[in-house]
Amino acid sequence: MMTKEPLHNLTLASFHEGLLAKRFSALEMTQAHFDRIEAHNPEINAYLSVARNEAERQAEAVDVAVARDEAVGPLAGAPLAIKDCILVKGLPATAASKILEEYVASYDAGVIGRLKDEQAVFLGKTNLDEFAMGGSTENSAFGPTKNPRDLTRVAGGSSGGSVAAVAAHLAVAALGTDTGGSIRLPSSFCGTVGMSPTYGAVSRSGVIAMASSLDQVGPITKTVEDAAVLFNAIRGHDPLDATSAATAYDERELLSPDFKKTKQLVIGLPKEYFTDGMEPEVRLEVAKSVERLKALGFSFKEISLPHTKYALSVYYIIVPAEVSSNLARFDGIRYAAPAKAVHADNLTDLYFKNRGAGFGAEAKRRIILGTFVLSSGYYDAYYEKAQRVRALIRREFEDAFKGVDVMLTPVAPMRAFKIGARADDPLSMYLADVLAIPAKLGGFPAISIPTKPAAELAPDELPVGFQLIGRKWREADILGIGRLYEK
Amino acid sequence: MSSEINKQELERLAKLARLSLTPHEEEKFVKDLGAILDHFKELQSLDTAKVEPMSGGTDLSNVFRDDAERENTNRGAGTEAFPKKENGYLKIPPVFEQ
Repeated sequence: MMTKEPLHNLTLASFHEGLLAKRFSALEMTQAHFDRIEAHNPEINAYLSVARNEAERQAEAVDVAVARDEAVGPLAGAPLAIKDCILVKGLPATAASKILEEYVASYDAGVIGRLKDEQAVFLGKTNLDEFAMGGSTENSAFGPTKNPRDLTRVAGGSSGGSVAAVAAHLAVAALGTDTGGSIRLPSSFCGTVGMSPTYGAVSRSGVIAMASSLDQVGPITKTVEDAAVLFNAIRGHDPLDATSAATAYDERELLSPDFKKTKQLVIGLPKEYFTDGMEPEVRLEVAKSVERLKALGFSFKEISLPHTKYALSVYYIIVPAEVSSNLARFDGIRYAAPAKAVHADNLTDLYFKNRGAGFGAEAKRRIILGTFVLSSGYYDAYYEKAQRVRALIRREFEDAFKGVDVMLTPVAPMRAFKIGARADDPLSMYLADVLAIPAKLGGFPAISIPTKPAAELAPDELPVGFQLIGRKWREADILGIGRLYEK
Repeated sequence: MSSEINKQELERLAKLARLSLTPHEEEKFVKDLGAILDHFKELQSLDTAKVEPMSGGTDLSNVFRDDAERENTNRGAGTEAFPKKENGYLKIPPVFEQ
């Protein structure tokens, strides 16, 4: 029996239900998404590469299992998009950089191994700012990703390809990475749900490193309910990532929370996040979300996090420092030669030329800045100072979490901006993450939730996301509130 | 604290980072990095004498694996991407002047 509902509109939850009820097959679901990709990817540029044969084979295996009435998990057959800095064995992993243009992953990332165990389907690899450095996906060596709601605007970044794929129904859900805001900012700009988990909750093995003390893989989905399912599948200790923690999560609390308990959570509103520089539409939409949560029975409390304004400086010292170390390995030899070969007289010359030709402007800017803040004579004044202020910011969050359970803020002071509007001025681009960065410096989980569903947006209205920040390892709190909100 | 990255300093940093820059990039980066370092000055007003620097993102420490023999299951996977190989060796341009 075929249903009339377009398969690409399904969520992870409704797909799983329909698959088990045999209303459609996993192969039909995957093919429906490739049809959408063929029709819409040329204008959106969400995917850098697709893997149709592998994906259809994965989907068929799920259909065989379902036909035999074998038990399959909630992600079986679900067609996912994977950010191109996450390794899937046998598929390209370019990190949207010329220097990795020819690289094919030789092993699976930890999160990909887990999703393969769940029999998820990988449609392809998605666009990003080169090595995840940026807030708009304009730093990709392979062209910007466009916002599906308005093609003249950015999708946000750096996980712009993954987010645009979900927003345009070119994938049912996706994986991104979030270092300073790279999942939440594009989610706010495109109207998806995106979560950056607690640092250490998800393996970073096989994720091309940008800033190792901040990078986390997280879910990008159409609903908060789906985000809980995808997060639950990828979380967990991985011996191949020494910073991944063996923290015990209560799976039932993550997937089916007791909403009566959720409603007792106290939500803090940090006044430093509601600044004058904010677009009035963002202020209005987030205020409406607060009212809606009040109507649902939540109590709010105004709080203060006075060190918030220093987070941007701390972040842009620590991240380039880690970038300059992490990108030192890219020499144009170890991960395949760049497509455009250079002539070099000796090895040192080859390094200079490969790196000079292979990295884009933002990668180079951060390598230079990182080399500077770590160099002799400047280390104490910049890098160590930033580490000390980072400790202050974390402590401030921990103190605030003694009085509230969760914090609510805007994700960004603005909505999706025009392509090119900030591309030439790095500082103005960095400011897009000013409200997303602080939680990350302390390692706290944070989620972007659309203030209203896409169906309720006016034709020319741009999405806005609000952010919920939770205590460490308490994804259940922010997911639970989000699920009540979207009900 | 000097927040000056002039052309000479930029060239020194680029050399340390094994990065060739075009004259246009050099000009742009001197300007960009000046503005970024100016922004960082705000941190100097904070008293952090009594704060321990936070390194890394976790409170984990001394994460070791057992010192036991392990079977390598992904042998050769790291070398298959090398551009030029011979008898399992990686071929690169000469390191020393001839």
